[in-house]
Amino acid sequence: MSADRTAKLLWSATALGGATAGASYFVTGGPRFWANWVVWFLFLLTLALGALFLVALEHLVSARWSVPLRRIPERLASLLIPLCAVALIGLGSLQALFPGARPEAAGDPALAGKAFWLGVPFFSARVALCAALGLVPLFVLLRGSLRQDRNPDPKFTIRARRFAPVCMAIFALLVTQAAFDWIGGLTPAWYSDVIGVYLFAGAFMAGLAATALAVLYLKGKDRLQAVRFDHVFNIGAFLFAFTVFWAYIAFAQYMLMWYGNLPDEVIWFQAHTGGAWLGVVALLALLHFFVPFFALVPRDVKGDPKRLRWVALVVLAAHWVDLYWLVFPALGAPVFSWPELGFALFFTCGSLLWVRGAMERGEDMPVGDPFLKEGLEFRL
Amino acid sequence: MNPEPTPFPVELPEVLRAPAMTVGKVTPGSLDDQVLRFPAQGPPLKWYVAIACTSAVATLGMALIGYTFYMGIGAWGNTSPVFWAFDIINFVFWVGIGHAGTLISAILFLLRKRWRNAIARFAEAMTIFAVMCAGIFPLIHVGRPWVAFWLLPYPNQRGLWTNFRSPLLWDVFAVSTYFSVSLMFWYLGLIPDLASLRDRTDSRIRKPIYAILSLGWRGAANHWRHFDKAYILLAGLATGLVLSVHSVVSFDFATSIVPGWHMTIFPPYFVVGAVFAGFAMVLVVLIVVRETMDLKNLITDFHLEVMCKVILGMSCLMGYAYVVEGFTAWYSMNAFLHHTFMNYITGTYGWAGWLTITCNVLLPQLLWFRKCRRSYPWMFLVATAVTVGMWFERFVIIVISLHQDYLPSAWRIYKPTLTDYGILLGSFGIFFTLVLLFARVLPVIATSEMKADLPGAQPRHGAHHE
Amino acid sequence: MNETFAVLGLFDSADALMEAVPKVRALNLGRLEAYTPYPVHGLDRALDQRRSPLAGMVMIMGILGALTALLFQYWISAVDYPIVTGGKAPSSWQAFVPIMFEVMVLFATFTAGLGMLLLLNRLPYFGHPVLQAKAIRGITRDRFALSVEAEETFDPAAARAALEAAGARDIELLPAPARGPWLTADFIQKSLAGIAVACLVSGLVMFAAVKLVPILPPMSHMSDQPRLDPQAESAFFKDGRGMRPPVAGTVARGFMPPGVASEDEAARLVNPLPRTPAVLAHGQAEYRIRCAVCHGALGNGISTLGAAYGAKPANLQAPNFLAYSDGRIYGAIVLGKNAMPSYAADLPEDARWAVVHYVRALQRAQNAKDEDLK
Repeated sequence: MSADRTAKLLWSATALGGATAGASYFVTGGPRFWANWVVWFLFLLTLALGALFLVALEHLVSARWSVPLRRIPERLASLLIPLCAVALIGLGSLQALFPGARPEAAGDPALAGKAFWLGVPFFSARVALCAALGLVPLFVLLRGSLRQDRNPDPKFTIRARRFAPVCMAIFALLVTQAAFDWIGGLTPAWYSDVIGVYLFAGAFMAGLAATALAVLYLKGKDRLQAVRFDHVFNIGAFLFAFTVFWAYIAFAQYMLMWYGNLPDEVIWFQAHTGGAWLGVVALLALLHFFVPFFALVPRDVKGDPKRLRWVALVVLAAHWVDLYWLVFPALGAPVFSWPELGFALFFTCGSLLWVRGAMERGEDMPVGDPFLKEGLEFRL
Repeated sequence: MNPEPTPFPVELPEVLRAPAMTVGKVTPGSLDDQVLRFPAQGPPLKWYVAIACTSAVATLGMALIGYTFYMGIGAWGNTSPVFWAFDIINFVFWVGIGHAGTLISAILFLLRKRWRNAIARFAEAMTIFAVMCAGIFPLIHVGRPWVAFWLLPYPNQRGLWTNFRSPLLWDVFAVSTYFSVSLMFWYLGLIPDLASLRDRTDSRIRKPIYAILSLGWRGAANHWRHFDKAYILLAGLATGLVLSVHSVVSFDFATSIVPGWHMTIFPPYFVVGAVFAGFAMVLVVLIVVRETMDLKNLITDFHLEVMCKVILGMSCLMGYAYVVEGFTAWYSMNAFLHHTFMNYITGTYGWAGWLTITCNVLLPQLLWFRKCRRSYPWMFLVATAVTVGMWFERFVIIVISLHQDYLPSAWRIYKPTLTDYGILLGSFGIFFTLVLLFARVLPVIATSEMKADLPGAQPRHGAHHE
Repeated sequence: MNETFAVLGLFDSADALMEAVPKVRALNLGRLEAYTPYPVHGLDRALDQRRSPLAGMVMIMGILGALTALLFQYWISAVDYPIVTGGKAPSSWQAFVPIMFEVMVLFATFTAGLGMLLLLNRLPYFGHPVLQAKAIRGITRDRFALSVEAEETFDPAAARAALEAAGARDIELLPAPARGPWLTADFIQKSLAGIAVACLVSGLVMFAAVKLVPILPPMSHMSDQPRLDPQAESAFFKDGRGMRPPVAGTVARGFMPPGVASEDEAARLVNPLPRTPAVLAHGQAEYRIRCAVCHGALGNGISTLGAAYGAKPANLQAPNFLAYSDGRIYGAIVLGKNAMPSYAADLPEDARWAVVHYVRALQRAQNAKDEDLK
C-alpha cells in the first residue's frame, strides 16, 4: 500500500473514530466518554514517557548498544506535543469522574483536609505544569539529537548527558503526578504510594513494546538495515525483565492491601475486583504477565522479528487493559462496546498519523552521534 | 533509506571519554600472576594487624551474644512497645548490604557491563558474608534460640506446622534461599580460578585442597558451554532473587498496620535502599583492596567513577521515595500516619530522621562533582555517611513507628543497652574478619572472567549471530 | 599397553585456536575437544557441539518448585491443620506466592548448578588424562589446547602432523589412564567402614544433643524458674513461709457472714431457695455429712455421737422444733446453739438454706399425715 493511501486510510479512520467517540458523549453519557478519554490519554502519555525514558536512560548511563535505535523512541516521545492538548481537554472529566473535584468534597470529612488539592483549580494547575514540563526534554534531547544529524558536534551529546538527570527528575514527576491524580484521584479516599512506580513499570513496558514495533516495522521496510539481532534482542530482553518487574509491583501492591485489610485501602480493590471485574483482572494477569513472560523466555524469541512483534502487540494491548482496569471501575461494572471501539480507532489512528509524520523527521539513526559506530558494532 | 554514519573526528572531547577499564598491558598470564600470587604467599603485617582488630571486635560481639543467650532478651533494650529494635535493624541492614554483591555479579552480568569483572568476585563474597551476619539476628532475637529449628516446617510430635501466612516465615525461606543461591553462584564462578590455583602450586597441602575444590575442572570447551549456560541462568535467577528477598524483608513491615510501616512502596524502596547501602560498602572495600593489594591497574578510576554514579543514582531514588512517602502520608488524611511522620522529624528521635535524610539524600549529592568522584577522602565520607544513614533509616522506620503508635497509653521511649551496641559492632567485626580471610585465601578478582574480556581475548571473526 | 588417549596441540591465542579448528576437523582424525582458560566465543559451534539443554531443565524444575511449594503450603495450611490467623482464610493463595517464588528459584538454582556439574559435565572427576599432563598449567593460565582424542582407528603421528600444520606451538601426547576395576574389596571395605563411622558419630552427636541440650543452662531455665513453689521457704517474709494465710477478715466465696447477730433476728429471715428436688438433694447430701452425725439420720437426735459421748443433740422432730421457722433453723446453723457450734464456715450460704429445706422435709416425713400420701 502506498504511503498516500495509508495516510488517507488513517485520516478517515481517525475521523470515523472521532465521530463515534463524540457521538458516545451524547448517547452513552458524559462519564463514559470521559473515562475513555482518560484511559487513552494515559495510554499515550505512558507510551510517550516510556519512550522518553529510554532516550534519557541511554544518555544517563552512556549506553552504546542503543545508539543506533535512539531515533525511534525519540520520535515516539514527540507524542507528548499533541498530548498536551489531550491533557487539557481531559480536564473536562474532573467533574464527571473525580469525586474530589466536585464541590461536595469539601463537606466529606474524609476529603475535607485535601479538598484544595483535589479541587479543579489546583488539579488543572498541576496538569498544565506537567504538560509544560514534559515539553522541556523534547526541546533539549530531541531537538539536540535532530540538530546533531546535520552538525555532528559532540557538544550535543555532552549537553544531553548533562541534562539526562534533569530529564529523569521530570519523568519521575510526570509519572507520579499522572498516577496520583488521574488514577488515584478517581478514588480520593484511597492512597497507595507505589502507584507512581506501578505506572512507571507499565509505561516502560509500553515504551519498549512501541519501540520494538517501530524498529521492526522500519526493518521490514528495509530501513535500519544496520540494526541486527543483537540490538533487537536487547529490547526483547528488557521487555522480558520489565514484565517480571510489573508483575512484582502489581502483586506487591495487591498483597499488601489484602494483608492489611484496612478499610481505607480495601475499598479500591473491592471496586476493582468485584463482580465481572475479576474476569478483567484474570485477563490482565494473562496478557500482561503470563503470555509475554513465557513467550519471551526462549532466547531466540527475544530477537526474532516475527515473534517479538506479536509479543509487543500483546504487551500494548495488555497496557490498555491495565489502564482500562484502573479507570473504568469509576463507572461501575465493566462496559465495552462501540464507544470504546470508537475511541480506540480515533486515538490509535490519530497517534499513528502523528508517529508516521515523526518517522520522516531526521535520519532513521542518529548519524551525528559520536558513539554510533560503536553502537552498530555491538555484539552480545 | 540507510544512513551512513558521518565520518567522525577520532578524538572525542575529554568529558566524553571514559577512563580505561584496565590500565597498562594486561594479559591472561600477567593477570594470573598479579591476582593469584596472594593465596600462595604469606600476607603482609598490615593484614595481621587488621584481622587482629576485626576478630577482637567479632569476639566481643559473640561474647555478648552468649551473654544474651544466658540472660535472655532482657539484656537488650527491647521492651514494650518497641519490641523490634537493634536486632531487626541489624538484620535488615546486613541483608541490604548483601544485595550490592548480587547486583554487581548478576545484574551487571546480564547487562553485559564488562567493568563488573574486576569487582564481581569480592562483591559476591561480601554478599555471602553479609547474609551470614544478617542471619545471626533472627536466630538470637528469639527467646529460645535453641529451638529456632521450629521455624522450619517439619512433621513433629506436637502436630504443629509453621504459619505460612506470616511474612516472618517468608523471610526464613527468602534469606536461606538467597544464601544458598549466592553461595552456589559464587562457588561456580570460583571453580575455574581454583583450577588455576591448583595448577600454579606445587605445595603438598594446598594442591590437593584446590584439586578437590575445583572438582577436576580442565577447561574443556564442552564443559564451558554448559558452564556458561548455568552462569547466565544463575545470573537471571539471582536478579529475581535480589528483588524478591529484600521485598520479602520489607513485607515484614508492610503487611502490618503499624503507622508508617504499611506503605505499598516499601518493596521497591527497600530494594533500592539495599543496593544503595551495599554499593557504599563495596566502594569502601574496593578502595582498600585496590590500594593494599596493588590492583590499581585492574580496579581503576573507571570502577570508582561508575560506583559513585550508581550510589548517586540510588540516592536520588531514595529521595524520590522519601518525598512520595511524605506526600502520601499527608494525602492519606490519616491522623495516626500524620503523627508518625511528624515523629520522624520532630520529637525524641527527630534527630535520627534528619540524620537519615542528610546522610542518604544530601551528602551523596556531593558525587555530582567529579572532584569528589576521584578523591578518596570524599568517597570515604560519602560511603560512611550512606552506611550510617541507611542504618539509621531502619532505626527511624522501626523504632520511631513503634514507640508511639495507636495507643497513647503504650507510648514509651526506647533505650538501647550496651549489649545492643556491642552486638552491632561485633557484626561488623565478623563481616570484616570474613572479608580479610577471603582475601587471604581465595582470588579477589575473577581471573577467568576477566581474561575472557581482555582486548584480544576473543577471536576476531566467528561469533556472528544470524 | 599404554595407549595414547589423545594428542594435544597448544596454541598461544584464541584466534590461533579458532583458525586451527576447521583445518584439523576437516582431516577427521578423531574426536576433537578444546581446552581453554576461559570460554571462547564460537568455539562450541566450531567443534559442532550442540546447545546446552540446561535452560529447559532449569525451567521445568523451576515450575516444579513453584508447584511443590504451592501444594505443600496449601496442604499444611488448609488441609492438615487449618488455623485462621490474622482473620485470613487458611487457604490464602496470596500468602503462598512469596515462598512459591523462593522455592522456584531454589529448585532452579540447584538444577542449574548441580545439574551442570554432576549431570552434564560429570564433575567432580579427577582421573582425566589432561589433568596429569604438563599442558594443564598453561591451559588454566593463558594457552589454548586442541586435542584429538583417540577413536577406533587412531594415528598419533598423523594427529601430531595435523596439529603442527595448523599452527600449534607445542604438542603433547596424553597416555590413556591405567584402568583397573574400581569396585575392589578394599574399596568396599573402606566405604562400609566410612559409612559405619559416620553413622556412629552422627548418632552419638544426636543422642548427646537430644539428651543433654534440654538440661543444660540456659535451656534448663524454663524448669528452674525464680518463682515461689508450694511449701517453699521465702526470705522475703519475716516468718520465712512462702505460703501466706489470707488476711484477717477475708471472706471465701459463697461463705458470706450470716449478717444476723441473734436467733431472734435470724428467725425473721425467709428461705430464699425454692423447694426443688435438686435443692432437697443438695440439702440431703450436706445434712448427711454435717448434721446426721449428731442429730441422726432421721433428725430425731438418735445418733452415734450421742450414744458414744453421752451428749444430747436436739430432737428435731420434737414439737417445739416443728414450730421453728426456717429462719430460726438457719440461725441455729450459723450462730450455733448451746453445745452446737456455728456451722457458718462449713456450709456456704446456699447449702445452709438447702439443709433447712431438708430438715423441714425430714420433719414432715416423720410426722406425715394421710394427705401427704396423695
